[in-house]
Amino acid sequence: MATTYLTLTNELLRESNEVALTSANFASAIGIQQFAKDCVNRSYNDIVSAEPRWSFLATGESGATDPMYGNVYVETTAGTRWYELKAASSSLTTDYGAIDWKDFYLTTIGVSGESAPYTSKNLSFMTLEEWKDHYRESENSDDADAQTWGEPRFVIRSPDARKFGISPIPDQVYRVWFYAWDLPTALDAHGDAIVFPDMYSSVLMARARYYMAQFKENAQHAAFALDDYKRGLRLMRSNLADPTPRYMSTDML
Amino acid sequence: MPSQPFALACEGGLDKSSSSFEMLRRPGAATLLENFEVDIAGGYRRINGYSAFGGSSAANPSSEDAILGLHVYADGVIACSNTNIYFSLDGESWLQLNKASVAGGGDNYTAFTGRSAAARTSQGLAHFTTYEGDTTYGEVIITDEGSGVKPFYFKMTGSGALSGRTYYAKEITVSGTHYPKFCTIHDKHLVVAGATTAPNTIFYSGTSDIDDFTTTGSGSIVLDDQVVGLRSFRNDLIIFCKNSIYKLTNINSSSTIAVQPITQNIGCLDGKSIQEVGGDLVFLAPDGIRTLAGTVRIGDVELGTVSRSIQPVMKFIADNIGSYNISSLVIRDKAQYRLYYGSDSTGGSSKGIIGTLKTNDQGFTNFQWSETTGIDASSAAASGFNYDGVERYYHGDYIGKVYNHDTGDNFLSTGGTATNIIAKYQTPDLDYGDLGTLKTLKYVKVSITPEGEVDTSLRIRYNFDDLDSPQPTDYSLSVPKPSLFGTALFGATAAYKFGAATDPITKQTVEGSGKSNYFRIFSDNQNSPYTVNGIYIDYVPSGRE
Repeated sequence: MATTYLTLTNELLRESNEVALTSANFASAIGIQQFAKDCVNRSYNDIVSAEPRWSFLATGESGATDPMYGNVYVETTAGTRWYELKAASSSLTTDYGAIDWKDFYLTTIGVSGESAPYTSKNLSFMTLEEWKDHYRESENSDDADAQTWGEPRFVIRSPDARKFGISPIPDQVYRVWFYAWDLPTALDAHGDAIVFPDMYSSVLMARARYYMAQFKENAQHAAFALDDYKRGLRLMRSNLADPTPRYMSTDML
Repeated sequence: MPSQPFALACEGGLDKSSSSFEMLRRPGAATLLENFEVDIAGGYRRINGYSAFGGSSAANPSSEDAILGLHVYADGVIACSNTNIYFSLDGESWLQLNKASVAGGGDNYTAFTGRSAAARTSQGLAHFTTYEGDTTYGEVIITDEGSGVKPFYFKMTGSGALSGRTYYAKEITVSGTHYPKFCTIHDKHLVVAGATTAPNTIFYSGTSDIDDFTTTGSGSIVLDDQVVGLRSFRNDLIIFCKNSIYKLTNINSSSTIAVQPITQNIGCLDGKSIQEVGGDLVFLAPDGIRTLAGTVRIGDVELGTVSRSIQPVMKFIADNIGSYNISSLVIRDKAQYRLYYGSDSTGGSSKGIIGTLKTNDQGFTNFQWSETTGIDASSAAASGFNYDGVERYYHGDYIGKVYNHDTGDNFLSTGGTATNIIAKYQTPDLDYGDLGTLKTLKYVKVSITPEGEVDTSLRIRYNFDDLDSPQPTDYSLSVPKPSLFGTALFGATAAYKFGAATDPITKQTVEGSGKSNYFRIFSDNQNSPYTVNGIYIDYVPSGRE
């Protein structure tokens, strides 16, 4: 069972020789107890924001719809260029935390009414500037007149980061697969669990201890805790974010 | 950051008058000291309980009629109740004393018990005085605040069973139909005063003739104020009035006898509060407990009181004096003055104050105070030396029971069942020298002297019990009873612990932080008393937020 908000908070309180909380009074914590809760949440945010693409923040399991890569898809509509990355989201605060813009995939597989042969292709990322300079005018003219549209080849990112666009404007329904990571959800209830493995809760505790030591103006203790946190975060990155072997290859003869 | 030490010794007693900031500099004092007493040997001791006079065979003097007065006499105690006066050696049976037509040469037991009663009509709270004279037990005079009958005289001679003794009893005529309320023996005279018909007149008997107010040396003096109490003090008779205090001098010289005012601005609220303790008379004045010497010296300003530290309590008593009865007694081996206040409706919630005369570090002797709750002694309380020279303490309640005062480990319900003694001692908020810094407490060590197995609780509250500060739950402090050579018994009880210290220090790790905190040590049981000597605190200071 993953470590809960209550467990972490009480661990910090006990370390600080403060009065521990119970599930009954957790929500109504006051004073130093509330500060300890804040420390845990702040530390939690520090860890998850240190690496937006933590594996544990993935929106969904990759390859859940085999053999599609990506963990989320959006279906296009003929004649529509821009799509919200997360249709259910109403603002940036609830959008995805990160998107792999280099890995958009367009296909008709799975689209209602489609059958083989299917269309399947990678969408190349194009900067907004480039698209604006070379494609926007012709595509907009076509859209306003002949509406021939076309099979998309590029993906572009809206300036507000809430939408992706495809170019050319799609001429039919496609599925656009991509890889997304969620924003972390702040711990709130006493039973809320951290999203990363328990073995890394010590990293969170080190960071929380750092804040608590600062509060108690114990600079030496804070410095020790900060060192612990940095070392722990390096290990987390190494173990969770970039564990694959690294190669350098060349085709020179 | 390294931890810091702080230690406080429990001394100073209850202080309800100082502000919370003033109390920061008086860590040894108490802001709550309930059912504790200041121990003359140091520390705060949980008080003893009380037990039924007569134990399991105890009988009431007069059914469930309130005890109106008690007086240690001979080898027993005199009790007034309803319209009668009683005497008992053991509390198991009571002999009625207010008999009429007792022979001048004394009655034997059979004749005495066969006499008709001389009813103490409208008997109120009773006052006693003993004229030691040359008789075995002395002669007792009894007056009462009902002012409905004459003073009563009683004397007993002989020893052993009551059936083998001789009894003398009669009413004393003072003057016409004046029935004084108060009495005292002063320099071979019986002095009485306070009759409803002559509230500002004192009458004194003939010289060495305490039962006659017509013989040589007798007389009366009219004062400006109504008398509420009399007490002989050294060479003077102190006359406590409602709004003034006088002294009568030279009672044995008709040419120089005089009444001189001590103060005409301060009086006594209740004559039952007057006691001699520590070489001085103390009494309840409108502004608190005063000493006579202090009043003579300083006058009517509040500086003359010895109860300034519990002034809110004294004000409460003064404000409600019309509905409260007052009783008091002195426990000499504890250097204590105890005053109880309440009424027939306060019952088990009746309260009292305990003043212990104690000499502080500077060499000044003063009263240090504590409070009692649960001792319903406002109708009658008495202390005195019996014939064997042993000091005895008694109190009575409003349902006719007489108790051995200050003994045992429990109180009693109205039905006679043993009940817990709820005792609380609370320190002031401690700032450890700086109210601005945050302190995280690590552990405390409490020095407790047990008189048996101790089972107390420790409560810590931070930041003046701030609701926005997390407060820890109570900690249990248990101290085993040490096995002392000559007192412990093999296999008697697990409460004894071989090798345990007589003044152990109990360490308790604690939690929480604040800029200040107080400690409360409290118990709610029937265990033996214990004395809290002091508290050592280990804490880690933090910076200023």
